[in-house]
Amino acid sequence: MKSSLKNMVLVLLLISTITAFLVALVNDLTKDAIAESNTKAKNMAKYAVLGTNDTEATILRDTTCTIGDFAITVSTVVRNDDQTVIGYAVEAPSITKSGYADRITLMVGFKEEGEGAVINAVEVLSQKETPGLGANMTKAGNSLERSIVAKNPAELTFAVTKEGGSFDALTGSTISSRAYANAVETAYAGYLWATGRLNTEAQAESMTGSTIQSDSNLM
Amino acid sequence: MSKLQIITKGIIKENPTFSLVLGMCPTIGVTSSAINGMGMGVATMVVLIMSNMVISMIKNVVPDKVRIPAFIVVIASFVTIIEMLMQAYVPALYASLGVFIPLIVVNCIILGRAEAFASKNGVWDSALDGMGIGLGFTLSLTVIGAVREALGSGAIFGYTFADGVMPLLFILAPGGFLVLGYLMVMFNKIAKR
Repeated sequence: MKSSLKNMVLVLLLISTITAFLVALVNDLTKDAIAESNTKAKNMAKYAVLGTNDTEATILRDTTCTIGDFAITVSTVVRNDDQTVIGYAVEAPSITKSGYADRITLMVGFKEEGEGAVINAVEVLSQKETPGLGANMTKAGNSLERSIVAKNPAELTFAVTKEGGSFDALTGSTISSRAYANAVETAYAGYLWATGRLNTEAQAESMTGSTIQSDSNLM
Repeated sequence: MSKLQIITKGIIKENPTFSLVLGMCPTIGVTSSAINGMGMGVATMVVLIMSNMVISMIKNVVPDKVRIPAFIVVIASFVTIIEMLMQAYVPALYASLGVFIPLIVVNCIILGRAEAFASKNGVWDSALDGMGIGLGFTLSLTVIGAVREALGSGAIFGYTFADGVMPLLFILAPGGFLVLGYLMVMFNKIAKR
């Protein structure tokens, strides 16, 4: 079709208007469904890290604790039949260490055992690490998860093994692994806080704050 | 050109990766494993078929001088709509393919085919062209991904066959260029005979 100023302006205007309208329309139609499926996926992760599912357990309550600008959500999961607490699913970001591209967010399942706790499982909720390297943290049975599952977090050192910690770093992804270790530490602080073992938010803050200190020492 | 030829030319004669050398950014970026390459290929194919159809429908009302901005707006909106629909109604599929969708907007294969084929041909031929090029892209990315995964992490499609320390280079971008280069030589040696 031959171009003239009139038809160029008209066609571009029409195309932009129609597509903008369509995108807005679809956004409006889908935003509730998207929010719902995100919440559902997150709830599924809460059950999954405690080795249960939504037919035999429910989330009793969500407690949110803030450290600086970051929110840590601790969900108490109870068994449906006798209302006993199965464990705590903690959603926590890496606070002092960012991954290679961005902060990572984990869902960590803690189960109480005697006086202490054990880490039941870990799921990665969000990460933007390199595919094939840091992104391997999302795979089931990766070295990071293997090195901490079924361990008492009180006995862990939240750093990678080559820096004297308890986390077996992913091959070639020390930075991602450090962020992972930090997110698990944050989750543990949130768990301690939500179960009343740390009395104030200030205590939780100082717990992760001590990491900030050692972080700057490293550099 | 017969309908079948439109599809097969996308796989061999006009293979987007090895022959046309289009869409190199996602090719290097996502092919660190076979399954990632395949996911990107399939997502691109779906978008390409649909965008080719839409472009060939509107080709007669778009003035020549503004056809590229018009095509880009159409493709970008289209991809955004697909992303939102996927996220809302097929979250499982979105979880595995979702990361590739925004990359498709900037994929020059889509614009290249809109320009080279869809803006000159009918709706059905354009859909077939999208399918052929999409298949060619999917196959190429899967092969590159499989080679890089096999050399770099000792696995294919996630199934480990070799343990121990593998050359990490092949997972990183430089290894991607090496694999792409050697595969391109082999492909052209075989295909152009």
